[in-house]
Amino acid sequence: MARFNNKRKPFVKPIAKKKLTTVDHVTGDKIPWSFVFSRGRLPGPLRQLKADLRKLLNPFTALNLKEKRRNTIRDFLNISGPMGVTHFLILSKTPTAPYLRVANTPQGSTLTFKIEEYSLAVDIKKSQKHPRCPKELFKNPPTIVLSGFVGEKHLTLASAMFRHIFPSIDANTVKLSSCQRILLLHYNKDTKLIDFRHYSIRLEPVGVSRRIRKFVQKHQVPDLRNLQDVSDFVTKAGYGSESEGDEEAETVTLASDLGRVNRASSKSAIKLQEIGPRMTLRLIKVEEGLCAGTVLFSEYDYGDGKKKDDNHEDAENEEDDGKDENEEEGSEDEEEGGEDMEED
Amino acid sequence: MAEETHLAEAVKRPNKRHIGKTKGSKARKKARKMPHSADGNRAMKPRKIDPKMKKLYRKRAREYDSEDDEKAGPLRNDDGSSSGDEAEGNDTRKADNGFSDGEEDDEIQPGITKLAEGCNAFRLAFRSIIKKTVSDDVLGPVLSGNKKLIAEKLAEEEAERKVKGEAKDKQLVIEKGHVAKPAYGPHEKFLINLATKGVVKLFNAVSKAQNAQKGLDPSRTKDAKVIRKRRKEAFFSELGKTSASAKAQMSKGAVASEGPAWPPLRDNYMLTNSNLKDWDKVRERVGKDDIGRMSEDSGSDDD
Repeated sequence: MARFNNKRKPFVKPIAKKKLTTVDHVTGDKIPWSFVFSRGRLPGPLRQLKADLRKLLNPFTALNLKEKRRNTIRDFLNISGPMGVTHFLILSKTPTAPYLRVANTPQGSTLTFKIEEYSLAVDIKKSQKHPRCPKELFKNPPTIVLSGFVGEKHLTLASAMFRHIFPSIDANTVKLSSCQRILLLHYNKDTKLIDFRHYSIRLEPVGVSRRIRKFVQKHQVPDLRNLQDVSDFVTKAGYGSESEGDEEAETVTLASDLGRVNRASSKSAIKLQEIGPRMTLRLIKVEEGLCAGTVLFSEYDYGDGKKKDDNHEDAENEEDDGKDENEEEGSEDEEEGGEDMEED
Repeated sequence: MAEETHLAEAVKRPNKRHIGKTKGSKARKKARKMPHSADGNRAMKPRKIDPKMKKLYRKRAREYDSEDDEKAGPLRNDDGSSSGDEAEGNDTRKADNGFSDGEEDDEIQPGITKLAEGCNAFRLAFRSIIKKTVSDDVLGPVLSGNKKLIAEKLAEEEAERKVKGEAKDKQLVIEKGHVAKPAYGPHEKFLINLATKGVVKLFNAVSKAQNAQKGLDPSRTKDAKVIRKRRKEAFFSELGKTSASAKAQMSKGAVASEGPAWPPLRDNYMLTNSNLKDWDKVRERVGKDDIGRMSEDSGSDDD
């Protein structure tokens, strides 16, 4: 008997759990994490849009989230609890238009947006002469600027939802170097469209000629071939930088030095450059639950909102079954319904 | 094995011949093959092509006859038809003569027309062809008569176009809403200005908040205390700006710090928190954590 008692249980080393940073170190605020995934099969450009959105939500998102066709929303929901994921961004597609749903987990409200137009980050990049993408750009979360979201209840809800997707900023402790990107959401009252733009923030010292700025930024010997004297390099006015003078409103005094050129003592101008994706959204539905529940708001005022909702779910289930044809049929039906509603 | 069978046949054949002569037509037919088979296997080969040749011969013979109809008359016709029918039969019955019929006629061989004399049928045919007016068709004059071919081709093209159209439609559905070449109009400029304003506000607020605590290290307890004191002052100064009612509510909130749902309290707290999330917005929502911190702050008020 004693022997048996002596037998000790083998020591099992507890598996070290990788701790997710769900709480900000400095301020102690809860950090929102997000999942971006799709329902149903997306065509190429929309898949790219999904990737772009994930990049935008960096670093507090699952950048390489793998999804399978048989995954249901419930699967994501189950995993979101332990992972500390607070928001879902769900992309879907019907023949009418692509849709974006923004949902709060685990039971929060769901906003359904119709994506009227979108341009990918690649498209934006192609259209620019000098696209800018420094390494540090996506290492910090973007700040969000909301404009025009006043008045009706669903708008305040939408603004609150978007605001809480990104971690809050504490003015007392924030480092300016971490503010590299900005997400602008502008609600247009007349068209009822929401403009979704993503910009990178660049700071330039005011009153310094371009030549000197470049000289300081880069460690390169300047080209002095055409100059008579070294002093010419400083005194001779360069060509660009004429646009600086007019924007008094766009200059700021920095709290601390930022980089090599932007000193706290001097003024800096803020330059924004677009980095995709660009979207034009229309808020069409607000639901109480996670992709379910009572409809709090609907752009198309139809009588039985509940019924339509059920149809949507059915279509999704079909997609989960993995039957291509059925899926398409289902989405077509959906489209017809959608068009009907638009006509109403 | 093959040789053996040949031998066997060779042995049998003489018998057959005898039987054939003695018995009915059936045996005769078999006997017809006789002379060739006797020559050997080589003789069998041309025999095989016979059906084709037979047709050709018949055709030629008919043509020849039709010419002759116009010239000579029905008598020749009988003769020609008989020669045509028995073109292959000649060899067997009159084994010695062969095509002697044609050779004997001498003037015109069956299947060969003498162009020197002129062929009326050809002339007529050519005339009819030349007289034909040909409409400009897709397929050209050669196949102009073939309506079926044209219809087929048109149908094919139609189908092809349809398939292409479907592919185009599919592509359109896929690309729906996608703007590959983004526009940079006045609206974009307006949006950039808007965003810039936001960023300026943010940076100004940050510098305002951080300039106040310049030279103080929050990690040191002494400085931390100073910072906390300053924040408190800022808090109360903000309170002074708001209406008296809000102040009263604030004092209530400080007493009942446990009550989480107290909207006015939250409002006031937002002012001091300087949570830049909402710098351009109306303050409205604060998480529970903030409220917790709020209670701490109010506790420190008493100290």
